[in-house]
Amino acid sequence: MSGIQTVDLKSFVTHSVNSVFETMLSMRLAPEDPPNRQGVTAGKHFVGTVGFAGAVMGNVNIAVSREFAREMTAAMLGMSVEEISSDEEVNDVIGEVCNMVGGDLKSRLCDAGLTCSLSIPSITFGDGFRVESKGWDRHEQFGFRNSHHSALLEVYMKSPN
Amino acid sequence: MALKVLTVDDSKTIRMIVKKAFQPYNCVVFEAENGVEGLAAATKEKPGLIILDITMPVMTGIEMLDRLKGDASLKDIPVIMLTAESGKDNVVNIVKKGIKDYMVKPFKGEDLLERVRKFMTLEPKTEEESPENKAAKYFTQVEDIVVLTLPAKVTRPVTVEVEGSLQTKIKDMTAAQLKKMILDMGGVSETNVSLIKLIIAAFQQCQKSNVAVKLVASPKQGEELKGFQETSQIAVASSIDEAKGSL
Repeated sequence: MSGIQTVDLKSFVTHSVNSVFETMLSMRLAPEDPPNRQGVTAGKHFVGTVGFAGAVMGNVNIAVSREFAREMTAAMLGMSVEEISSDEEVNDVIGEVCNMVGGDLKSRLCDAGLTCSLSIPSITFGDGFRVESKGWDRHEQFGFRNSHHSALLEVYMKSPN
Repeated sequence: MALKVLTVDDSKTIRMIVKKAFQPYNCVVFEAENGVEGLAAATKEKPGLIILDITMPVMTGIEMLDRLKGDASLKDIPVIMLTAESGKDNVVNIVKKGIKDYMVKPFKGEDLLERVRKFMTLEPKTEEESPENKAAKYFTQVEDIVVLTLPAKVTRPVTVEVEGSLQTKIKDMTAAQLKKMILDMGGVSETNVSLIKLIIAAFQQCQKSNVAVKLVASPKQGEELKGFQETSQIAVASSIDEAKGSL
């Protein structure tokens, strides 16, 4: 429990998000405080979720609007937004971004003594929904923003017992 | 002989990034979505290199690696593992398994090639296969005018191919003191964003190098171009002869 409360989640998450967005999407995000949940979830949006389990249990959720998700997909695949042929490509990119951010965070947790394994990412798409996990020891949300869009990242953590 | 590369990843995105990285080289890239498919592809194709993800459904990369190492006919194939996890324990565990190298995601295609070059030589595609040579088919010369004829379907790969060779072509034109170009889109079946981007890029490159350029399009295409802000001001000729006359 104490390990969960003391890890510097903010710096872990900021590093992971910046590293993934800059390397894979050539996109620079700035922190957005407070996070713009309404801006992200007002219309259709994607939520990528990856879980980790071991000495620490938890979830990482990344939520972005459909528009931002499509821009991310175009950036990652080196194409224009108009060339995205289906939401399947968008799903795949959001899943991969989630996997990389979750993987980096998981590695940092392991290095901090909280050994855990990572799950395969899952994607939820639609509108009028909110992904909310219950019964966690620690829950934090972090906002990020580029010039047009916001992204919301939530981390839920608890001890296994 | 082309190097056979097998990319095993449940993410199509990552497989595309790997494929793109090897594109300029004399390589054939095969894809598989998980360890089971990867093993089948490795057995069938006997690749010279495997790029293997760890976290995959059905069969993980670690399990697939164990099977590869247990098969006399596959155990010597060099493997580069991809992992989203940079934790010390994870890295130590995969390195122990006799892989050539590993990469932590996020990564760029160039970083992957750098790792590959540490233990094998990547042959560039021969002239015939090079992107520039493939793009040469779009260019012809009529008197002192270079004509760039666009294909029926202008897709993103075509755009990349043509744009990539246009710069070289314009340099050659400058050296040969050719200062006129016609961009012929008369045979293009669909006016899409890739086409618009290509037209703009071609005009910009020509203007930068003081090459006069004229666009040839059908009346219908001319109307469609007006619908895009970026091309709405471009004057259009209806035939090569008309364009030649106005250059």
